[in-house]
Amino acid sequence: MTDIPGHLPHRPPFLLVDRILEREPGVRVVAEKLVAAGEPCLRGHVPDRPLLPEVLLLEMLAQTAGFLEADSLHGRAMFLAGIQDARFQAPVLPGDRLRLEVSPEGAFGGLMKVRGTATCEGREVCAASLMVKRS
Amino acid sequence: MSDLKLRVKEMIIDRLKLEGMTPDQIEDQAPLFGEGLGLDSIDALELVLGIEQVFGVKIEDEASGTKAFRSVEALTAFIAEHRKA
Repeated sequence: MTDIPGHLPHRPPFLLVDRILEREPGVRVVAEKLVAAGEPCLRGHVPDRPLLPEVLLLEMLAQTAGFLEADSLHGRAMFLAGIQDARFQAPVLPGDRLRLEVSPEGAFGGLMKVRGTATCEGREVCAASLMVKRS
Repeated sequence: MSDLKLRVKEMIIDRLKLEGMTPDQIEDQAPLFGEGLGLDSIDALELVLGIEQVFGVKIEDEASGTKAFRSVEALTAFIAEHRKA
């Protein structure tokens, strides 16, 4: 089992990865996130009709991308530097179990481009390319 | 304009989504970064990926990147030198 808090410095309510299902640093990471009914963001987004804010899917993919790094990110910095070709194909609702998959497309000059997809029960809900700055 | 240089310019325009720009608007000698085209580090990564995809040439490190990205002229020469066949 991957030690998630040991690798990522993020903490609740902004730690958005529950489990690492597959991990090959530098090649591919598959993570899981269960969108619980009690998620703080759902209280206000929106009352009576909770819907996961789509931008959080990008953050989930970015946090998943953090596990492409072999070493822990504690004491280091990893920033989101760009987002390209983001698509949100379906709403994500409380109770949805998301499968987050990322793989790098290339790297140059301290930047890495990562392709990520989020699926729920085999159906794609988000696809995007993320540019990540490492230091 | 040489055929390869034209294709390099088309790749730059396509990859960086420089909409409305035509190859003849990119000067052969102008620097790609800073002055000139004014590209940034994210554009550099996009170009590295584009060059690999279109021409099969890898830019492995920043030293080769610095050399190759000096201008379109330099980039065309770099690709001509490194691509297979």
